[in-house]
Amino acid sequence: MDIPKAGIPKGESVKQKLTLPPHPDRQLCRPIMETFREIVVNEANFVRKCISAESCQDDLWGKLVCTNFKVSFITHNSLPRQCTHRLLGEHDIPLACVEQVVTVNDVKGKQKILGSNQKLKFNPTELILYCKDFRIIRFRFDEAGPESAKKVCLAIAHYSHPADPQLLFGFEYVGKRYHGSTGERVNGVDPGGGMQTTLFDCSSDWDREIKRTGASEWRVCTINQGYFISPSLPEFFVVPVSLADQDLKQYACFFYSQRIPLWCWNHSSGSALVRMSNISDLQQQRKVEQRISSAITKSHPLRSDVFKSDLDKNLPNIQDIQAALLKLRQICVIDPFEESEEKWLSSLESSRWMEYVRTFLRHAVEVVYMLESRNVPVILLEKEDRDLSCVISCLVQLMCDPHCRSLHGFQGLIQKEWVMAGHRFLDRCNHLKKNDKEESPVFLLFLDCVWQLWNQYPAAFEFTEVYLTVLGDSMWVPIFSTFLFNCPRQRAENSRDFASSKSIHLGQDQALRFPPVWDWSQQFSLKDQTLFNNPLYVGKIATCVQNGTVKTFTHSSTLRGLPSALRNGSLGPNDTLARRNSLVLRLRSDLSQVREQQETPSERFIRDFFSRPVDLQGLLLPQLLPSHLSVWKLYFLRWVPEAQIPQGGPITAFHKLSVLTDEIDMLQNQLRQYKGAGGTPNNLHAEHSKMYFKATSTPHQPPAPPEYLSSSFPFSPVGNLCRPGILGSPLSKFLNGAKIWLSTETLANETI
Amino acid sequence: MEESGSVDSVESLSKDVTYICPFIGPVRGSLTVTNYRLFFRCTDREPVFGLDLPLGALSRAEKIGAATSRGDVSYGLVCKDMRNLRFVHKELEDSLKKSAFEVLMKFAFPVSNNMSLFAFEYKQVFPENGWKVYDPLAEYKRQGLPNESWRISKVNDHYELCDSYPAALFVPVTITDEELRRVFSFRAKGRIPVLSWIHPESQAAVVRASQPMVGQNGRRCKEDEKLLQAIMDANAQSHKLFIFDARPSVNAAANKMKGGGYESEDAYQNAELVFLDIHNIHVMRESLRKLKEVVYPNIEESHWLSNLESTHWLEHIKLILAGALRIADKVESGKTSVVVHCSDGWDRTPQLTSLALIMLDSHYRTIRGFQILLEKEWLSFGHRFQQRVGHGDRNHTDADRSPIFLQFIDCVWQMTRQFPAAFEFNEYFLITILDHLYSCLFGTFLCNSEQQRLKEEVPKRTVSLWSFVNSQLEEFVNPLYVHYPSHVLFPTVGIRHLQLWVTYYIRWNPRMRPQEPVHQRYKELLAKRAELQKRVEELQREAANRTASSSSERAGSPTRSITPVQTFV
Repeated sequence: MDIPKAGIPKGESVKQKLTLPPHPDRQLCRPIMETFREIVVNEANFVRKCISAESCQDDLWGKLVCTNFKVSFITHNSLPRQCTHRLLGEHDIPLACVEQVVTVNDVKGKQKILGSNQKLKFNPTELILYCKDFRIIRFRFDEAGPESAKKVCLAIAHYSHPADPQLLFGFEYVGKRYHGSTGERVNGVDPGGGMQTTLFDCSSDWDREIKRTGASEWRVCTINQGYFISPSLPEFFVVPVSLADQDLKQYACFFYSQRIPLWCWNHSSGSALVRMSNISDLQQQRKVEQRISSAITKSHPLRSDVFKSDLDKNLPNIQDIQAALLKLRQICVIDPFEESEEKWLSSLESSRWMEYVRTFLRHAVEVVYMLESRNVPVILLEKEDRDLSCVISCLVQLMCDPHCRSLHGFQGLIQKEWVMAGHRFLDRCNHLKKNDKEESPVFLLFLDCVWQLWNQYPAAFEFTEVYLTVLGDSMWVPIFSTFLFNCPRQRAENSRDFASSKSIHLGQDQALRFPPVWDWSQQFSLKDQTLFNNPLYVGKIATCVQNGTVKTFTHSSTLRGLPSALRNGSLGPNDTLARRNSLVLRLRSDLSQVREQQETPSERFIRDFFSRPVDLQGLLLPQLLPSHLSVWKLYFLRWVPEAQIPQGGPITAFHKLSVLTDEIDMLQNQLRQYKGAGGTPNNLHAEHSKMYFKATSTPHQPPAPPEYLSSSFPFSPVGNLCRPGILGSPLSKFLNGAKIWLSTETLANETI
Repeated sequence: MEESGSVDSVESLSKDVTYICPFIGPVRGSLTVTNYRLFFRCTDREPVFGLDLPLGALSRAEKIGAATSRGDVSYGLVCKDMRNLRFVHKELEDSLKKSAFEVLMKFAFPVSNNMSLFAFEYKQVFPENGWKVYDPLAEYKRQGLPNESWRISKVNDHYELCDSYPAALFVPVTITDEELRRVFSFRAKGRIPVLSWIHPESQAAVVRASQPMVGQNGRRCKEDEKLLQAIMDANAQSHKLFIFDARPSVNAAANKMKGGGYESEDAYQNAELVFLDIHNIHVMRESLRKLKEVVYPNIEESHWLSNLESTHWLEHIKLILAGALRIADKVESGKTSVVVHCSDGWDRTPQLTSLALIMLDSHYRTIRGFQILLEKEWLSFGHRFQQRVGHGDRNHTDADRSPIFLQFIDCVWQMTRQFPAAFEFNEYFLITILDHLYSCLFGTFLCNSEQQRLKEEVPKRTVSLWSFVNSQLEEFVNPLYVHYPSHVLFPTVGIRHLQLWVTYYIRWNPRMRPQEPVHQRYKELLAKRAELQKRVEELQREAANRTASSSSERAGSPTRSITPVQTFV
């Protein structure tokens, strides 16, 4: 078998370069990005991509191509698509997204899961790709040459199992920038510069964060510059002012992987949130812990004692989380839809995914209670301090700090608590498919927790659920510094090695500059990026001018406007039986402000929170009753045709809100222009609009949601899964496939 | 002290009563029972809170245990609105005075005490008269009826052929009243196939009926067969007729023993019969009972989903929605007329027809259209509200009670979740309807049929729920509503997309935080837009005045290029 070694092609190992001319207008068959050193390694013609399981009439014909970046299917038939990806066409799957490659020969009844460098003893008639983003894609080779079909399958299997991180496409992608060109911007985008997201890769970013949170008793520590102290810590981090560099150097060796405790954030009351790994030297444990704790206490305005929160004891571990996701995937996309319907709820429960989401949220609420109500500093304790702490520290900050709910604040938060703190993205994503035991969707679980918060307080976040979904998907586009490495040091070393092995002159840079995922222009046009903007968002300075008075948006108005039947507030002083003219209005009672039996202080804290109007720019606690958490359908069910709501779903509300927000924007522009230098309003608006759906020129009629909207928007389940499509009548599948319906004929047969 | 008639009168006031709250434990306060409601106000807590519920919501009230040595009496109240209450208080020394419990029993179950329901005392005047919302002829006229294929028949004008049907019936023109009379005897309870709705373009019709009285011997009725053929012929687009039998096929077959059954293929040549597998009122009642156990008072956190599954509530909702979806799809996509029936045609049938109509006709998704739909499909066609809800009747074990209407409202709510911009009304509208289904404050849901309501002079003697609703519409409006007239909704009926209506079923839980954040925010944004528009217009006027006064130096007036700002709400 002639499989070229995955990775950088050296002349002869390049099988061929794609000769197709680029199609600037044809977004549907995205050409291979030759300019980024994307190399075609194998291909097969006359391949059929299955769209529907029932018939092949909707199937697409085309060429199946395996490059060093993706599996591509080049066809001239196209399906409607709203949002286009700059690096990936409609039918493309990045190799990093391929979870399992299954080849089938249905004549011989054979099936084989292909790994790297394997042999295949039969000619495949079918290739099924199980993807990490829950897609399942099927190709058939009935008309393709058996040899070329086999080769392309083997190539896909081989290239989706890179032997070395430097074989991940990101290196080629970024390396190109330094090769031959003189500091030009990659893909027209300036990496790093010009972005508003704080990356926390320099000392000044941390200084600003200290200032922003008022953590005056904390300082930036630079002892890990060059990663001489700890391999997994960033070069810059924050410590109590009372701890000298000398002490820290001395303590470092007691901690797991020399990870000195990291400051995360300061509550406005002055209580710090700190994360810490286990102390490996048991003899020193008490002493070191005490030193650290007392230093944190010294940095507290009231000198409060530290509360330690043991995450390993209270939360599921990474294997549990991985097992839950696999089960969830099984019931969401692998089990036949109709058969799994009946047991959906109990299967969902037994996957334990929702339970874990709730456990993490609840734990974060407990920590918030310590910071907010007890006003004590909190240390998050985790053995390695690189998984569970990332989730909890982020959730705590999201609940407490409105800055983290803005787009850039959120991105900075992930930089700070995940990327810089050394979450093992490379291992957890299992990009190298080497060690399945290390694979775990901790980050996805975090996104789901964020989604739950978002779902309960949609106006408190600057971003949308499309943003969260796309962020999750970006883990499988292996070009971003964010998700490629286990820690900052690994990134530095790998990119230095790669540069020297490729004789790349880095110039002023110390290492290859990978774009962070926050550089969204790498993936999406500016227009498509507007799908990230939440029309409901109540920003920092969002005020409403009503009757000449300016009022800030809080949810107090929600309560005031609410009919008493839905109100969860206590009786007002006038609410007595004497006020009886309003018989119909006063059917409800309320207990929300009354103390429950045997309530713990933290439960009371939660109850108090829920009895007050919510300030969307203040503290937000999630509703934790299991009945109030939902499945993140956009993420988990978007590829399932049967689960799609045609012309429905939350997107239709989003559409209407976007249009209204856009109208408001337009009016504000007009006002500004009137107030400005007497200029007249112009039509610049359309280009600058922040909304994906814009106000129409005939606002008298509120626009109906466009027909292409569905609950899966902007994703399309068509062509994913080996299942019936829903083209044509949206009901056809449901009606044909349902087994419960007996026709008269069957009945007649039964009676005989 | 108040205007007579518009308020209730206090019948019993007991101080020093303990309310055993399942969430917070015993609370002391005073308990007032009026002829309409129960009011408990706590006196030992800050902040003050209270309970206020209409007695109509009580399903069952009984003393728990014997009076204790201290003379305490304890009684439990089981409510139709998914909660249970428990009170304890001292037995009165004065034996001449009636105890609160006796008063409660008297006014909570007036029907059992030969008294009239509170709705007949309630005389509040509202700006609008809700009894005028539904005019059958106007509604059929909206659908383009009568037309060349369908006529109105006066055969049931005085309810003599079918006492549970409305007076106005639409039937194919090719069928004579004489033939109809024969059909009456062939359909259960005389509920013959009549038109519910007609597609404005394809003329495919939704027809409702009860089961044919086929029996074990396979009885046939020439006129019934002719009627169904005529229904099919009235629609030129299709040479087929679909008969949707809401029941599971086994139940339908079992009905033959009792003289009922379903249409046979031999007798109805061009018809295809489909069973929709929806269970009967007893199964639904049991399912809701289980649901109440799971949601009230507390949720068992670790097994929430499997407990919910074991109630089968969502599964029933799914089957009902799925059935309605099949009907709507046949009519819309297949352009085929359909006949829908169950056994008597007054429980599952209105669930199916009204849901299918909501999918097919956007008019029924407006507030007034929805009222018309309820008046038509449920009230005029004789859903037995009195029996199913048991207004004022203490016989809580009555096997005729069943949450059929609640299920329907739940299905509507599921659709509003899937299509947040397609309905003019909000969730509060649906909850209000359910609360007054039980409250007996309004006459709307009283009695079992149109005939009974007329006999009792309900429209004359009571207030309609729609009088109240339509007098404060703004509370019930969904701000996200977009009216697009010819839009058919096909909901996704998988369990994955159905959810428990927590804001209804779990609303008594104090941890519940009811809010429609998106709606609220949308309203805020609307207010903001209005304000901005006003300011822009002011500035425009100023600019216009300025240019008018400084006049004709330049050729083109700069205001020309200013886009006029439209006023729109």
